[in-house]
Amino acid sequence: MRVVIAEDNVLLAEGLSLVLTSSGHEVVSRVTTGDGFVRAVAEHRPDVTVVDVRLPPSFRDEGVRAALRARRDRPDLPVLVLSQYVEGTYARELVADGARGVGYLLKDRVARIGEFLDALGRVAAGGTALDPEVVKQLLARRAGPLVTLTPREREVLGLMAQGYANGEIAERLVVTDRAVHKHVGNIFAKLDLPPGDSGHRRVLAVLAYLEG
Amino acid sequence: MSDESSSGLARVPRALRFCAVGVGLGVASMALLPVLLLLAALCLLGVGLFLLPVGLRVLARLADVARRETDRFTGRPTPEVPRAAGQRLAESLGDPVTWRDLRWLPTSMVAGTTLGVLGLGVAVTPLVALVATGFWWVFPEDEPMRMLAGQPVDSWGSAGLLGGTTLVLAVVLAVVVPVAAASLLGWINRVLLHPGERERLAARVDTLRATRSGAVSAHDAELRRIERDLHDGTQARLVSIAMHLGLAERRLGDDPQAVGELVAKARAGAEDAMVELREVLRQMYPPILSDRGLPGALASVASDCAVPTELSVGELGEVPDPVEAAVYFVVVEALTNAAKHSGASLVTVAVSRQGRSLRAEIRDDGAGGVVEGAGTGIVGMRRRVEALDGRLRIDSPLGGPTTVLVDCPCEW
Repeated sequence: MRVVIAEDNVLLAEGLSLVLTSSGHEVVSRVTTGDGFVRAVAEHRPDVTVVDVRLPPSFRDEGVRAALRARRDRPDLPVLVLSQYVEGTYARELVADGARGVGYLLKDRVARIGEFLDALGRVAAGGTALDPEVVKQLLARRAGPLVTLTPREREVLGLMAQGYANGEIAERLVVTDRAVHKHVGNIFAKLDLPPGDSGHRRVLAVLAYLEG
Repeated sequence: MSDESSSGLARVPRALRFCAVGVGLGVASMALLPVLLLLAALCLLGVGLFLLPVGLRVLARLADVARRETDRFTGRPTPEVPRAAGQRLAESLGDPVTWRDLRWLPTSMVAGTTLGVLGLGVAVTPLVALVATGFWWVFPEDEPMRMLAGQPVDSWGSAGLLGGTTLVLAVVLAVVVPVAAASLLGWINRVLLHPGERERLAARVDTLRATRSGAVSAHDAELRRIERDLHDGTQARLVSIAMHLGLAERRLGDDPQAVGELVAKARAGAEDAMVELREVLRQMYPPILSDRGLPGALASVASDCAVPTELSVGELGEVPDPVEAAVYFVVVEALTNAAKHSGASLVTVAVSRQGRSLRAEIRDDGAGGVVEGAGTGIVGMRRRVEALDGRLRIDSPLGGPTTVLVDCPCEW
């Protein structure tokens, strides 16, 4: 895949490039500012982008803003936002436009190269990758009907919210696809969610529910 | 001396009230002064040592009433200088407020009664004039009633003329004199009862000294905690990671499986270090606060709170970073308390600018009964706010609701 990276810290930018190129991806542009990112995206038309939340000049949430700006011009531009800390607000804002292909992960996750590349691939393919920490916060917030879920169903719900498809969930929990399918059905019934959605739409429905 | 906003006739009732208070306090002073002198004399016999403090407490209550009423009349509240905490004689006598009360006592006795009676007395002269004019005929013909420098009143005509003039004069006096008398009394009371600039500054310095030492020790404790967290956590983890990598390096040639395990451990250690470090950083300064400022950070906290939270943030203007951080931490703490202990179903958070101050009010509809110092983090909140010269008030009756109110000055 052709990737644009927006990261101002040289160490981290080098590391990311190394991880990506050593697994066969091409880093077409490395930028250090939000404006630079928007320009690079327009120029290179990448398959996927990786953006740090804090970028110069303000070192605030420049990255999130730049990502949202770039997606206004090209709504399905896949963006994976990386952050040193988890902030539910950013996850909400990134998902809010309803467009496909968005991710929000802690930088720590890059260390697990395989999972990180999976998440990047999922985002590039129009899917979702939300950090488990974000999902944990969301689950902690919304008590209510969630208490009726079994521990396993909560686990499945958490993985759905992170953006995993049934097959991946089955793999991670070491159960069969059929079992996951059944759990998903139960969860949707218990939470009174419309069944039948899949992929990105399913994630949005689950997140909307958790948002309350 | 009076409040500029009220004028003319509107001041008369307030002045009359204040004159009446002056008379009341004057009479009370008249009774108290000899008693205090007697008690002071009895100190020589020992008995007074026990009774004098009681007398001084009565004096304090009297003087406080005078202060309150003076403030009310003049419409200019003065900053209070707190009395010494103790009730013992030595403490009372060491307190400058007591001596101020004592100086006021004889003056109240004389000035309070005199000015008060004068004000009230003049106020009833129109009535006297009116009644007198109506009853001129009661006087015998050869000894007629005389008004206005001895003019005789011997017919309804002269009664109307002289009486009317007298009435007008009396009304003018009744408007002017009580206001003047009350204003003079108010001024005397202010001078005698209210703290001088020096005393006010001394009290302020005491407060500042206390809050500063609180701030310094809180800061110190905070630094120690961070140092310990970094030393025991992150630093130790980095050492362990380096050790695992070193071992892996030595085995690179001969035992690929062992190398794999060592590297995996090193990576896991690095992940743990990141988690710990993030927590340390978050406690030092919440990242969302530097990213989004106070409104954004509060919106984030409110939406993450387990209890439904309504947030309203007004136009805040320029707010210094430490004030933002303090208000943020208080709101976080209050919301945490509300979610954990109160059983509330709704929390409202209102943040606004009130002149020089930033104000935040957090109110929940929970069970109330929040006690300061019972592991609720309130002590920490208070120290944080007071270090910035701000004020924290918690109102939490049993049965609720609980209100936390912070006022923090934005200019120093």
